[in-house]
Amino acid sequence: MSNVNYVTFTIVVVVFLIVTLTGFAAARWRRAEDMMQLNEWGLGGRSFGTFVSWFLLGGDLYTAYTFIAVPAAVFGAGAVTGFFAVSYTIIVFPIALIFLPRLWSIARTHNYVTPADFIRGRYGSRGLSLAMAITGIVALMPYIALQLVGIQAVLTVMGVGTSSTNSYVKDVPLFIAFLILAVYTYVSGLRAPALIAFIKDTLVYVMIIVAVFYIPTRIGGWGHIFAAGQAHLKAISPVTHKPNGVFIPTTGNSQLAFSTLALGSALALMVYPHAVTGVLSTRRRDIIKRNMALLPLYSLMLGFIALLGYMALADKTTVANVKKAGGNAQLAVPYLFQHLFPSWFTGLAFSAIVIGALVPAAIMAIASANLFTRNIFKEFFKPDASPRLETQVSKWASMVVKLGALLFAVELPRTFSINLQLLGGIWILQIFPMMVFGLFTRWFHRWALLAGWLAGEIFGTIAAYKVATPTTSHWAGSTDLEFGHTVYIGLSAFILNVVIAVILTLIFKAARVPEGADETLPGQYTADPTDAPAPVPAAVGRQ
Amino acid sequence: MAQESSIKSRSPIAAHPVTSAVIAILTVAVVFFAVYVPLYARATPKVGDFPFFYFYLLIYMPVVAIVCWIILMLRNRLDPPAGGPDGPAAASTGPGEVAK
Repeated sequence: MSNVNYVTFTIVVVVFLIVTLTGFAAARWRRAEDMMQLNEWGLGGRSFGTFVSWFLLGGDLYTAYTFIAVPAAVFGAGAVTGFFAVSYTIIVFPIALIFLPRLWSIARTHNYVTPADFIRGRYGSRGLSLAMAITGIVALMPYIALQLVGIQAVLTVMGVGTSSTNSYVKDVPLFIAFLILAVYTYVSGLRAPALIAFIKDTLVYVMIIVAVFYIPTRIGGWGHIFAAGQAHLKAISPVTHKPNGVFIPTTGNSQLAFSTLALGSALALMVYPHAVTGVLSTRRRDIIKRNMALLPLYSLMLGFIALLGYMALADKTTVANVKKAGGNAQLAVPYLFQHLFPSWFTGLAFSAIVIGALVPAAIMAIASANLFTRNIFKEFFKPDASPRLETQVSKWASMVVKLGALLFAVELPRTFSINLQLLGGIWILQIFPMMVFGLFTRWFHRWALLAGWLAGEIFGTIAAYKVATPTTSHWAGSTDLEFGHTVYIGLSAFILNVVIAVILTLIFKAARVPEGADETLPGQYTADPTDAPAPVPAAVGRQ
Repeated sequence: MAQESSIKSRSPIAAHPVTSAVIAILTVAVVFFAVYVPLYARATPKVGDFPFFYFYLLIYMPVVAIVCWIILMLRNRLDPPAGGPDGPAAASTGPGEVAK
């Protein structure tokens, strides 16, 4: 703790304490008659309106990792690997507007808590539902771990942490922060991140608005910022002997990479279980639709966050600091703030990033826990679990998930978590056909979907493993060459997945393989039940 | 994005073909203009100090918000009132619908 700025540090600690109190107080917010219902703990009683949902979904989808990693990618390699995120968060909403309202309606009608509940009901297939649950849990784990990377970046720049070489001792502050998070999530469930999201988003907005107007005046204006970015990206890297990155994608391959990354990521984002959890926690169908039109406002902010990467390149002190820290681009934004903002404001900005990590981490842990409880524990081990037991299992599972993510973050090398998160995107995209197509048609055969899913997962994982650069031998990125074109692996795996699902469906139908029972009715996909759902999740009586 | 358009124009209500078509076209267009990079991958004309590529992506977001809002208004005309039953066209239509 040598060169800690105590003003910054104190502000971060105070904000963290406020957030902690809020997290515990959230249990009393919109108090439920019985908190020991999975609907209450895991979905906030399905009671949130437009206003709360906007904050919750915003807090859910724009994570600390976004604030750190997107500008870091822009800082390192420019438009294709970094700025595509802006394009992708633009198109995610018109696409989601097509299917999320249907998901909401069917889940509300049948009281589904997780997306895998829907798969189970739609296809009458435990195997398919299990495939989705496992994909969801596995893809979320590195995502939660990456939230910690965001916190670590801030802590590193603040100089907090002991200089011990033992990673557990070194990361004590991280452990404390995450333990507190785990406890209030356990107590308050989804209400905690929903309430904290207000604080988070307010801080993030203030931080970004100030950064966008103030930082350019300190470092020579936007013209200089873009010029510095362009110069850095054009420069030839001594390691790869290629330019550092792409400022504007003008070649065919860089454009295709940009487009497929944007499209693939957009399709993946809304099938992530934590996104579904946010969606299912809303009170009315309208609220989902309205939020899909309101959330693009968030993306505008992301656009400016991405540009922080160029601002960091334009600030010589930041560039030097990053270099001194071993060239870790994740530190670019925290260093930029620390250098240019007065220490009290740096404190607020750092708090924004830390809380920005806690909110999505809580929602992701809840989503994973619900998947485990509903689609693994209850489905395969204890079909007669009472709602009370379900909730209890879910609460503990959320703890386990968080501790797992913590070990993940501390034990594994950081680059490994980042690669796993890229892989997570590829993995989760493969559940798109069963889930989203399933919302519209029952034409696909359940086993064909399962086979397509498996093929997509295997192809995607192997393809991602084979990506190499001169500096890294494996897992070096998420695009590769398909038939001479640079394409996002997730998208090519997705296409393979769909093709196999179609062909096998035709075969299985011709062979009259049993299709399984469908418990949903067409009208239920557009229903908007006004009354509160039954307190007991799907089909389980409460004796 | 053919899959979205065909879903969109066929699913909720065949009774409003024009509105459905407009929604489909808007959705496809809004995605297309973001994803088709050659359209805006240029440094000029600069807007202020912003290269065109960056200006375009930033200004496109409020545009998408507005288009989403229009789609929403149109969809509200399609969707049945709260709690009401829906036409039989809602789900489980013929094969190949989403296959493309």
